[in-house]
Amino acid sequence: MKKILSAVCAVMIGAMMLTGCGGPEPNSVHKLDDLEGKKIGVQLGTVGMSYAEKYTKEVEKYNKGADAVQALKQGKVDAVIIDSEPAKVFVKKNDDLKILDEKFEPEEYAIAIKKGNTELTTKINDALKALKENGTLDSIKANWIGEDKGKNPYKTPDGTTYPNGTLTMATNAEFPPYELKEGGKVVGFDVDMMQAVCDHLGYELKITDMAFDSIIAAVNSGKADVGVAGMTVTEDRLKNVDFSDSYTTAEQVVIVRKK
Amino acid sequence: MEFLIEFKDKLYETFIVDDRWKELTNGLKTTLLITFLAVLMGMVLGFLVAIVRSTHDKTGKLKLLNVISKVYLTVIRGTPVVVQLLVFYFVIFATVDINKILVAVIAFGLNSGAYVAEIVRSGIMSIDNGQFEAGASLGLSYPKIMMFIILPQAFKNVLPSLANECIVLLKETSVAGYIAIQDLTKGGDIIRSATYEAFLPLIAVALIYLVMVMILTSLVTKLERRLGKNDRN
Repeated sequence: MKKILSAVCAVMIGAMMLTGCGGPEPNSVHKLDDLEGKKIGVQLGTVGMSYAEKYTKEVEKYNKGADAVQALKQGKVDAVIIDSEPAKVFVKKNDDLKILDEKFEPEEYAIAIKKGNTELTTKINDALKALKENGTLDSIKANWIGEDKGKNPYKTPDGTTYPNGTLTMATNAEFPPYELKEGGKVVGFDVDMMQAVCDHLGYELKITDMAFDSIIAAVNSGKADVGVAGMTVTEDRLKNVDFSDSYTTAEQVVIVRKK
Repeated sequence: MEFLIEFKDKLYETFIVDDRWKELTNGLKTTLLITFLAVLMGMVLGFLVAIVRSTHDKTGKLKLLNVISKVYLTVIRGTPVVVQLLVFYFVIFATVDINKILVAVIAFGLNSGAYVAEIVRSGIMSIDNGQFEAGASLGLSYPKIMMFIILPQAFKNVLPSLANECIVLLKETSVAGYIAIQDLTKGGDIIRSATYEAFLPLIAVALIYLVMVMILTSLVTKLERRLGKNDRN
């Protein structure tokens, strides 16, 4: 009897709490200038955050891009500024969201390396150059971004050996399609790209997943050799780490509610 | 010497540039506000629940309220506070336009209330039943016995545990950043995300928490001494 009673109470409390829900306010952001003074959701430490801070004082800094998108759906923020490819993934999964046509300037993604470690930077740049020339980088990109998704996954060439030890890559696996978790493993464009670089250089690749805003600190403190997380080269970041040559370009976009 | 200069540069970069220290002071204000309101809410809620529970145990009355209290205690003590906070933010207040800080106060207050309730109940139960009987023999009603005889003694007994709960709550509010509240911990994170330097912001945040807890502890020690003045021993 007591158990039934407590169950009934729990349901009643739950029902009471869920009532009084209205929909979120109608969308008021139709172009970049509309962002002025709005509530903007971002992921802490991203380039989107610095853009957002130019438009408004009300920047909501979430630990994850997905949390910002969730808040947008519920009307807790008016827009989310985030990199274009993750934005596409989020919008595809949420029918009630769309990406504004107007975008920010394109920017370069690159690999973060501890300041002063020119030896590794040069090696990685050489590897990137070789991978660009033999088309490996393009085919990895095509496998994760665009029409031919998933058709041509990257495979380590037969007979690859790793005489040079391991190379640890710090990333934040919350950023599809660059890095995401699939079946407990970190996969994505950046992972395949880095695997190709390591195969080329003879390093065994090791991945550590962490918060995005900890990646550069991890690279600086030697916890990781490189930081690869769809990271844009910015002046602020260049003060603290070195970057390799760019391996792809992307841009920041604005996600808003459709209605 | 060079080390000192480098350290000074880092201090400057971490706290002075762009007025970054303001992230910490503003965060501290938010942390204190959330903690203060949540402690208040937790104490009120905890005392009420404890009185309901012990009244039921002693007299068998308040059956329904006792069941509700039990469900509340089970749910709150059975789930992590981060999950509760996220549930409040993303589920219960999903489409309600409500101040985030209020959400945090409600979540932390409800959480703390459950622990306070058990602490206070243990205090009430620790008072000898003879005190109840003595009160009843003087013709006092049950609420009056509770109010004037039991609770004052119980409060003194549980004060150290209550202070401990406040300290725990103060530190627990550091997860408020999960719902994009800029509390003290998040303030440190924001500095960290701007300077990419972990040592100074984290140490500064840790020191501020430590100092707050030390102040709290010394206040409670004073209060305990005050309350212990008329003890006979």
